[in-house]
Amino acid sequence: MNKLITGSKYAILAVVLLSTLFPVYWMTVIATQADSLAKVSLVPSAPTWKHVISIFTVERYMLPLANSFMVTAASLLIVLVFGLSCAYVLGRRSFRVKFRNALLVWVLLVRVLPPIAFALPLYILMNDAGLLSTKLPVILAHVLINLPFVIWFMLAFFSGVPEEIEESARVDGASEFTIFAKVIVPLVVPGIAAVTILSFMDSWNEYLYSVIFIQSPDSFTVPLKLATLNSEQELTEWGKVASGGMISMIPVLLTAVFMQRHLMNGLTAGAVKE
Amino acid sequence: MSLHSKRRFQWLMLTPVLLLLFGLTVFPFMYTVSNSFTDYYYLASESKEFVGLRNYVQVLQDEVFLQAVWNTVKFMLLAVTTETVLGLAIALLLESVKKGLRFFRVALLIPSLLPPVTVALLWQMMLSNHNGIINHMLAFFGAGPFNFLMDINTAFYAILLIDIWQWTPFAFLLLYAALQAVSRSQYEAALVDGAGRISTFIHITLPNILPSLMLVILLRTIDSFRLFDKVNILTGGGPANSTTTITQYIYRHGVYNLQIGYGASASMIMVLLVLAFTVFYIMRSLGGKRYGRNH
Amino acid sequence: MKKGIVALLSVALMTGMLAGCQSKGNDKLVIAARGGSHVAAMEAVKATFEQEHGVKVEIIGLEAADLKQKIALDAKNKKSAYDLIMADDPWMPEFSEAGIFKKLSDLGVQADPDFEESSLALGKHPYGTGEQYALPFSGNVQLFFYNKDLLDRNGATVPQSWEEVLQRAEKVKGSGSAGYIIRGQQGNPIVSDFLPIFWAYGGQVFDDQWKATVHSEAGVKALNTYKSLLAAGENYETTDIVSAVSEGRAAMALGWPSWFISGEEAKADYAPIPSKGDADGQPVATGMIGNWMMGVTANSQNAELAAQFLTFITSSDSQKQMVAHGGVPSRKSVYLDSELSAKYKHFPVQLEALQNSVARPRTTKWSRVEEALGAELSAAIAGTKSVEAALTAANQAIDQVMQ
Repeated sequence: MNKLITGSKYAILAVVLLSTLFPVYWMTVIATQADSLAKVSLVPSAPTWKHVISIFTVERYMLPLANSFMVTAASLLIVLVFGLSCAYVLGRRSFRVKFRNALLVWVLLVRVLPPIAFALPLYILMNDAGLLSTKLPVILAHVLINLPFVIWFMLAFFSGVPEEIEESARVDGASEFTIFAKVIVPLVVPGIAAVTILSFMDSWNEYLYSVIFIQSPDSFTVPLKLATLNSEQELTEWGKVASGGMISMIPVLLTAVFMQRHLMNGLTAGAVKE
Repeated sequence: MSLHSKRRFQWLMLTPVLLLLFGLTVFPFMYTVSNSFTDYYYLASESKEFVGLRNYVQVLQDEVFLQAVWNTVKFMLLAVTTETVLGLAIALLLESVKKGLRFFRVALLIPSLLPPVTVALLWQMMLSNHNGIINHMLAFFGAGPFNFLMDINTAFYAILLIDIWQWTPFAFLLLYAALQAVSRSQYEAALVDGAGRISTFIHITLPNILPSLMLVILLRTIDSFRLFDKVNILTGGGPANSTTTITQYIYRHGVYNLQIGYGASASMIMVLLVLAFTVFYIMRSLGGKRYGRNH
Repeated sequence: MKKGIVALLSVALMTGMLAGCQSKGNDKLVIAARGGSHVAAMEAVKATFEQEHGVKVEIIGLEAADLKQKIALDAKNKKSAYDLIMADDPWMPEFSEAGIFKKLSDLGVQADPDFEESSLALGKHPYGTGEQYALPFSGNVQLFFYNKDLLDRNGATVPQSWEEVLQRAEKVKGSGSAGYIIRGQQGNPIVSDFLPIFWAYGGQVFDDQWKATVHSEAGVKALNTYKSLLAAGENYETTDIVSAVSEGRAAMALGWPSWFISGEEAKADYAPIPSKGDADGQPVATGMIGNWMMGVTANSQNAELAAQFLTFITSSDSQKQMVAHGGVPSRKSVYLDSELSAKYKHFPVQLEALQNSVARPRTTKWSRVEEALGAELSAAIAGTKSVEAALTAANQAIDQVMQ
């Protein structure tokens, strides 16, 4: 009886898994088949790497990959440094911030309100500041996207650390900064890991701000490059589209695989704290 | 430690975020609000003129906009409900088995790791009439072919299906983590009390994962309300406006046709709508985050 | 480990911020272009120009809507990011009117009469008569594609009118294949697919006073035909249209040459678009022109050099070379070149189509008109509105846009 139940559970999970992964499988099939869609069968024959190769040689895909890494990494750094310090002050009881709730609502609104409403004004702002030829606007846009999530997510972690730890450090004569950086932050590392991974995914796939802010093909990010592969007056080259998508997935997938323990720990801890 | 230096530290910690938020949100917001009352067309040679509420009246009278609002709300409700319920179901299922957990957790996450453009194009390939693998498989069972994206009866649901495929994993991830966090002792206590499965779920599991459930619902509500890429690539809003969304409407008018003033007023209406749908969560999360609430 | 990550991030941050700091010098031309074969074609020939003038030519391939938006945003800057821009021909009135292009005569660029006239006219503002602002980079024009085997098997010849297209489509449908395929996605696709039929019935989107005349006898006839064509066939997107017609699962469709013809090979037979509605109607021009134009931005810091590149890239020599990389010529001499037309069998048909082509209405508000018309056409073929109701609504919506 028990075996039967377990068996049927795995059967359902298998169905879920199949429907989740089939499109991804299909993408890899298309990416590695020479011919048009018509001739591709479920179990493909002889894979070819010509699309993958051409996407690196003809389309110079390394460049967008490198740009995406740079933009994502830079924005993550800013988000973490500033977001953590903000969440720390707002989350700890020993700090009295008068406008705490107002600030929290403001932060939350940034996540809630639709980016389409603010993309053009931001463009105009960045343009007037003469920043458009740099990567700064895109980096800042990614900061804007991820900052609220980091602050809200970490708030619960910081407020969950017991008062006594902070107090005893203070009695020992530690400076405020030491308490923050050396005492409290190490205690919330699981949260930081989880929030970093989730922000990384968001940032890696961001399109709307990037397409408005980025001017030179030397600065294209991966999603931008992928969008140009889809064309109106020509037939879409599915092989290239699929290989582009496949490759763009690899960094995030690797992160998910190798960091999954941290991700789960952080999320689980976060669930307790909320 | 003097109070003075503590205050200074506090400000030091907050200032960067305050500056960032101020620079990146206050100006754009004011700018959008003020533009929404003008006839600003980006390429116009003469300067923009104040037109009062004209844009708002026009937007609200536009059949297409109302259709877009209805589509968006319908999409949001269906997507959020399905994704949350499915995500929870899968999380519960996975929690109840023992082997292969690591593999399942990563594998199930893959769809939400793909760039939106790729997701849209991938499904366009799969849903294609002739060469689409889905119609091939349906033909094997003697059904179809279906014109999923061009048929007024299916286009909306095809897009919904894609969204569910892409984002259920995300709901699953957060909810699964929440389930892990429920302490075993509570379940054991329930078992001792002789509570049944359903009763345990309602009285123990659900209250424990409620915050995460709310978070999932909030995040998915916000994001599904912004639906754009899939529609723009797969249907262009058709057939007969059945898949037009608010963001697509704003994009067409405010960005592509450069009617900044008109687009801004549609944006402001969208802002109000989003607030209406999320104000409940916002109030609730504020209440839940009191100082030093320990568990 | 943690320190390593922080260090890595910091390095990335610094590079990220500094990377953009090199400013644009005089030794570089930047071209905003439609991504795809246009870019590939230019990349293939640009080296000659780069060596001759000692400059670097940078080409940005963008998706069409992104391209339009980037050009417009950049137009208001004092110093432009782009020296040359490509524009889909329906954008020309809006862009010329807004002063985005520099007048070519000021830059000493001559409008060579070797360019196909209908293509050249697109670059003038006002249309056809005014000053030249842009030159035709790619001479695209819609053609009528058909599967010869399928028509032959049904004893049908190539149709000369839309009445005949419908008759043949219904016959093919009777034999079990799809007769005609429409491209009915809401927005640009359905409008591009419908207008040639509308024109064939003698319809015009506007009258002389720029009043919408979509709701007219011609409009009703054309839309009824369009719906009947759908009934005798399918509604597909591009990839499916091409495979259906080329593999003989469908008989006829409209399309852009580059979908079916790559290099010397054509996947289906082709002809100019039928020029009459009824079989005994008056023939009119129906081949929708869809050229990509190129001009120099008014705020370019490097206009002289940009103009030289424009001359170079639209020259007969460049166009001949670009054909092999997917380029579509806009010069008569290139189409008539005996060597090329022996190799590329579609050249005579394409030139004929270009010479009999029609441009979409020349208004600065075309993209909004297209939006309104597309939504109503889509409603008509989806059956949510009757032909009458859809055309009436389209007329109203277009008039409102034009106010």
